[in-house]
Amino acid sequence: MALVEISNVHKSFGEVEVLRGIDLAVEKGEIVTIIGRSGSGKSTLLRCINGLEQINGGEIRVAGEQVHSRSTDLRKLREHVGIVFQQFNLFPHMTVERNITLAPVLTGKITKGAAARELALKVLAQVGLEEKVDAYPGQLSGGQQQRVAIARCLAMSPDLMLFDEVTSALDPELVGEVLKVMEDLATQGMTMILVTHEMNFARNVASKLVFMHAGMVHEEGRPADLFANPATPELANFISSVR
Amino acid sequence: MRGFTISDVLTMLAAVQWTATLVILALAFGAPLALLLARMCTGRSRLARLVATGILQLVQGVPVLGLLMFFYFGMPVFLGIKVPALVSVGAAFTIFTAAFLGEIWRGGIQAVHVAQGEAAACLGLTRWQTFRHVVAPQAFSIALPATVGFLVQLIKNTSLASVVGFVELARAGQLASAATFQPLLSYACVAAIYFALCFPLTLWSRSLEDKLNGAR
Ligand SMILES: Nc1ncnc2c1ncn2[C@@H]1O[C@H](COP(=O)(O)OP(=O)(O)OP(=O)(O)O)[C@@H](O)[C@H]1O
Ligand SMILES: [Mg+2]
Repeated sequence: MALVEISNVHKSFGEVEVLRGIDLAVEKGEIVTIIGRSGSGKSTLLRCINGLEQINGGEIRVAGEQVHSRSTDLRKLREHVGIVFQQFNLFPHMTVERNITLAPVLTGKITKGAAARELALKVLAQVGLEEKVDAYPGQLSGGQQQRVAIARCLAMSPDLMLFDEVTSALDPELVGEVLKVMEDLATQGMTMILVTHEMNFARNVASKLVFMHAGMVHEEGRPADLFANPATPELANFISSVR
Repeated sequence: MRGFTISDVLTMLAAVQWTATLVILALAFGAPLALLLARMCTGRSRLARLVATGILQLVQGVPVLGLLMFFYFGMPVFLGIKVPALVSVGAAFTIFTAAFLGEIWRGGIQAVHVAQGEAAACLGLTRWQTFRHVVAPQAFSIALPATVGFLVQLIKNTSLASVVGFVELARAGQLASAATFQPLLSYACVAAIYFALCFPLTLWSRSLEDKLNGAR
């Protein structure tokens, strides 16, 4: 059984059908990159996976559990599914340590105090920012804030991480440090689904590439194959437009 | 008739305690109600939103004097018992506070970006935890200048309690004026005391606002 099973998912905003029958399976340890034009439904799909959006048809299962069933405890599910946003969304009134430890403490994973600080330092080490443990988000660069957001996710020890264009809001010179952290995570075997415009990352790190077009999975396969031999003109066009 | 003396001033200063009592009562009961209304206005339940918004609009559309009269004359009628003036006047200012603070705090809560609440929910926090730790602290600092500003309005508006004979600062001024035939002096004294109470708060509110704008 795959970790994430998406079958025939439909999603509309009012009259507009944004997802029009998505099928996708993600195995444990896979790095799946979703590419596609603006408005093709990439963010919406990610948001459906952790239950931020309702769906109008089909089903999504994470670790066997149906995300949109009434009986599902979304909070429990989200403790295992982390998401990192384009705009970081750190809590500006809390230090980095508190940003990271708030959820683990409130959900009872760890206790306040020494254990919390230890956890914060551990995950900050993974993103190379231990020295910022007492800083406030406003005192950090965009790249650093995004790495803290990743660390905050890691502190929940998720089984799956979702990344929605996490480098798009960054100055070009700060993109590399964030991609590096994500590469490290990939190497350590984290299951990741990411939406990105970083084609090099998609080509070199991803184990599967998904091209979304008009609310559907238009093509999917090994990145090298898709980049070398796009089967449809839409993907060929897309690839040549982002080069 | 007698002259206006220092003892009249002292009587007025003593009456400040009743002004303060009204303010404290209004805040003690009105602020929790305001929080409830603000939460209802920004919550998920459509019915709760409708009810809370209705209450806010209704109370805000009624002059404080109307509220005072309603509670002062209405409570004995509807409850069938005579209630002390402090209770009916206190109730009126409680409702007044609930509506206006409720509106201010609703604005504060809505000014916190939705993405903040989403991020908290994505980390597995409950809705209460999200409000308590993520939304409320940010909403509070956004709404603090306006909240302090409202406090000034509340203090000044308690003077209306004098019309139903409740002896607070303004009523004490009336009494002094009547006893001494020195209305100008009496009311100048009242005004000076209100000013002394409110001005520091206004300054504080101003500086909070500057700080907030600076932080953005
Ligand atoms: N909350 C919403 N309400 C209404 N329409 C929405 C909402 N969110 C997204 N949409 C619409 O759904 C479509 C798909 O949006 P989505 O954000 O998933 O696209 P995307 O592939 O992530 O695009 P981008 O590359 O620009 O981020 C767009 O047309 C968008 O306008
Ligand atoms: Mg998007």
